[in-house]
Amino acid sequence: MARDTEVLVLGGGSTGCGIARDLAMRGLEVTLVERGTLTDGTTGRMHGLLHSGGRYAVSDQASATECIQENEILREIAGHCVEETGGLFVQRPEDPDDYFREKLEGCRECGIPARVLSGSEAREVEPYLADDVKRAIEVPDGAVDPFRLCVANAIDAETHGARIETRAEVVDLLRDDDDIYGVEVRHESGPGKHTHATAGTTEKITAEYVVNATGAWAGQIGAMANLEIAVRPSKGVMTIMNVRQVDTVINRCRPKGDADIVVPHETTAILGTTDEEVADPDDYPEEQWEVDAMIDTLSDLVPILAEARTIRSFWGVRPLYEPPGTGTQDPTDITRDFFLLDHAERDGVSGMASIVGGKFTTYRMMAEQISDHVCEKLGVTATCATADEPLPGSENVEILEAGMDDFGLRSPVARRSKQRLGSRARDVLETDEPNPVICQCEGVTRAEIRDGISQSGTDLNAVRIRTRASMGNCQGGFCCQTMANELHPTYDEETIREALDELFQERWKGERHALWGEQLSQAMLNYALHATTMNRDRDPASESSTVDFAAFDDGRGAQ
Amino acid sequence: MSDAERPTDDHVPGDDEFEPVQVFPEAEEMDLRPGADNCYKCSTCDTNCPVAEVDDEFPGPKFQGPEQWRLKRQDDHDIDDSVMKCSNCMRCDSACPSEVPLSQMHNTARGEYVEENMSKLSREYWRNRMLANYRRLAPLGSMFPRTTNVVMGLSATQWLGEKLLGITGEREFPEFATETFRDWWAARGGAQVENADKRIAYFHGCYANYNTPEVAKALVRVYEHFGYEIMVPDQHCSGTPMFANGMLEDARRSAETNVRELAAAIADGADVVASCSSCSMSLRQEYPELFDFEGTEEVAANTWDAVEYLRVHEDLEGELEGTSVGDEFDDFAYHAPCHARNQGLDGQTVEVLDAIDGITAHDVGDSCSGISGTYGWKEENYETSMKIGAEMFEHMEDADAKAGLTECPTCSMQMEHGTGYEITHTLEVLEAALVGSTTEADAQ
Repeated sequence: MARDTEVLVLGGGSTGCGIARDLAMRGLEVTLVERGTLTDGTTGRMHGLLHSGGRYAVSDQASATECIQENEILREIAGHCVEETGGLFVQRPEDPDDYFREKLEGCRECGIPARVLSGSEAREVEPYLADDVKRAIEVPDGAVDPFRLCVANAIDAETHGARIETRAEVVDLLRDDDDIYGVEVRHESGPGKHTHATAGTTEKITAEYVVNATGAWAGQIGAMANLEIAVRPSKGVMTIMNVRQVDTVINRCRPKGDADIVVPHETTAILGTTDEEVADPDDYPEEQWEVDAMIDTLSDLVPILAEARTIRSFWGVRPLYEPPGTGTQDPTDITRDFFLLDHAERDGVSGMASIVGGKFTTYRMMAEQISDHVCEKLGVTATCATADEPLPGSENVEILEAGMDDFGLRSPVARRSKQRLGSRARDVLETDEPNPVICQCEGVTRAEIRDGISQSGTDLNAVRIRTRASMGNCQGGFCCQTMANELHPTYDEETIREALDELFQERWKGERHALWGEQLSQAMLNYALHATTMNRDRDPASESSTVDFAAFDDGRGAQ
Repeated sequence: MSDAERPTDDHVPGDDEFEPVQVFPEAEEMDLRPGADNCYKCSTCDTNCPVAEVDDEFPGPKFQGPEQWRLKRQDDHDIDDSVMKCSNCMRCDSACPSEVPLSQMHNTARGEYVEENMSKLSREYWRNRMLANYRRLAPLGSMFPRTTNVVMGLSATQWLGEKLLGITGEREFPEFATETFRDWWAARGGAQVENADKRIAYFHGCYANYNTPEVAKALVRVYEHFGYEIMVPDQHCSGTPMFANGMLEDARRSAETNVRELAAAIADGADVVASCSSCSMSLRQEYPELFDFEGTEEVAANTWDAVEYLRVHEDLEGELEGTSVGDEFDDFAYHAPCHARNQGLDGQTVEVLDAIDGITAHDVGDSCSGISGTYGWKEENYETSMKIGAEMFEHMEDADAKAGLTECPTCSMQMEHGTGYEITHTLEVLEAALVGSTTEADAQ
């Protein structure tokens, strides 16, 4: 029977996009479906750490070794998504010396370059570290933008012929006896680029092989075909600071514990995290004490954090998995390794494999191994090229950095735009039209917004993750509507209004967890601005009833 | 953390000010990114910026300050060149409802721009360096004041200044006095009042020393009238023109001397008073924001504007009640300098002069004069400077007065340049009311 596609990948996170790119580059016909926007699941809810492997150098040396290998590969193939910040494992006076030594030895055993700094040397690198830090191990940790990396994989997959469908939720797995042959998806607004206020459709997509890369949601997908996949979703909170208090990754050097990392991320610093098992990856409590406790604990390392402004908090769910019967109680002890579940072998159901566990830094390697498996199943002999082929945006980045062209933009705006766009900068930023800054917090220009819209239709959250627009300190208060305005005149007023509402709601979702001090002032100012200039607190245009204009007088001019 | 323990945003000065750290390798560079935490982007600073009002190319203080700092990473050194268009009037500082350290951010960014991005061989650098270090040139001019004044007044000199250095030929250089204040002070034998309980250290600054010693002399006579013992410590430039030109190393050297000398005077029981509003601004605000010599905070906390000090410590208005100034002065069009406004002193002159019979000071509004020290002297800024000043000129002409009054030397130059009025310093009026006319006083 003819199938719609050779391989159908479920899930538009780093794993799914990585697999789609890998297989498409090998010449296979690939379709990827994602329930929301790319990175909406766990990928967009990580702390942005590009592991050196130092974190696992004591507890899990196999993972540590994989991390340093992939770390080095990503610096090459995804230079525009990676910031080579370096990282420190910082020891406080109360942290054990034994562990510090084990960490150092572990790094060396795993091939992770590591160097010991004295307390004062560490503070020279990071002046906001606490005065009493004892010493630190310097490792090549980095910061990575999961959004850009994931999107770049998807774009490259498309370039190699893949079909990427976002806002397409899997509603059923198509199973014929012991064979899974596709899925049924519900397109939120029909296939293709998302357009708000457009009726949805459903579609059956059949495939030679289905790859379930839905991470924490893999169990829910499996259940559609009566397959049991015992993912143990574990939530962790992350808090975004308004500015970078540190420019290197700061890890606490102690055996394990919550709240032990600060990652400089673009204009911000992200505090992480906690580890707590949850039953449902879509519905779990987001509690303020988690944020408070984390800020409190990390202030021991970086005291200025106690008084610093946070702009939002978010929770992610790890797709933890361990083989049945392992019986680990504490989620922090569950391995971070990934598992490929071949349902033919495991459950006697052919046509699908599920991927669970794993971590962002090694997404490419996971994708390679899964792609090898898929190729074997389909009898294809192509080899993987993803370790050598740079992602779109990362070709010849060094040439771009050497270039002095600022595209008529003010220098910090030009600098940040070029860092985000990498080798695509000239294509996107070179324009004859005026190119004003739309998002002042992040320095995002209209040309970059338009580039994002050209990729993702009316989905302004997809524009956001591509550009960082609305991700700064005002959380979209000053730019959401200007971003939405760029949808005009291609789209009509109703569509644009819905797109704007969705973006603004998404911003508010995280900002709710930062409502004290300056961010509370910010929220109030945003509210006042939107209420008084756009009537968004009570907008008659958004209500179904018509406005009774006769109830208003004619104004002073009429008298 | 309970809600009661949460940081608030009530901005009681000092309660949550972060202590910037020197993060970047060069000694001058501080990490001011955490200062961006206070900004919620309301743009009040931009609407109060006199440069942004007349120059669409200038992105305004919000971009220059919190936005640019927030976009910065540790190894980024490419400050946008628009920072050189900031006139350092510091109005954004007082406009900000949320205590963003705007002028500190601008001063630091400007210093970094000059250090990293401006060629040390460029005409702009040397012109700015010269303007910023006016104090180093002034003694030369003062050595042969008459010759200098003639030469500086020649149109050929002005033409050369513009062509060679980029100093506008539109303005006339201020004249050097034939006797500096310090020479006069020495010749007079220093303080004529001794009083261990009422002692001030006078920070006269450069202009009152070299160009307008009559202002400095007025201060001496007014303070001696109230029974103060006056000390005139060694001093350098306050640093204001150096900050404004990004010459932070020069400013640091001057500040080090000033802090040392003034701290010593404070240890001797004196309070510091200044007759120039930019000098007092610099000692009070910019020093503690930019430097940390021993005694910096103490000097900042004990420095006063000369009129402010008398209003607080003496019954100045009571003393002035019923006095008059004779024919020497008539009504004034009064301009409050931005740097006085930033110190909360913009209302005091009108109130103080109200006590003197027969004269009135008409406040000409809260616009900026536009010259901002060395800013309006630069050829490329002259036009902007005059556009900013237009509102003040217009209000001066509309006011019921034929003379001008202010406390800032360069505002005074601008007022005179724009209206042709003679401009007086407030202390000269107080002197006339309390001590008598200058000629009488000179005869003392």
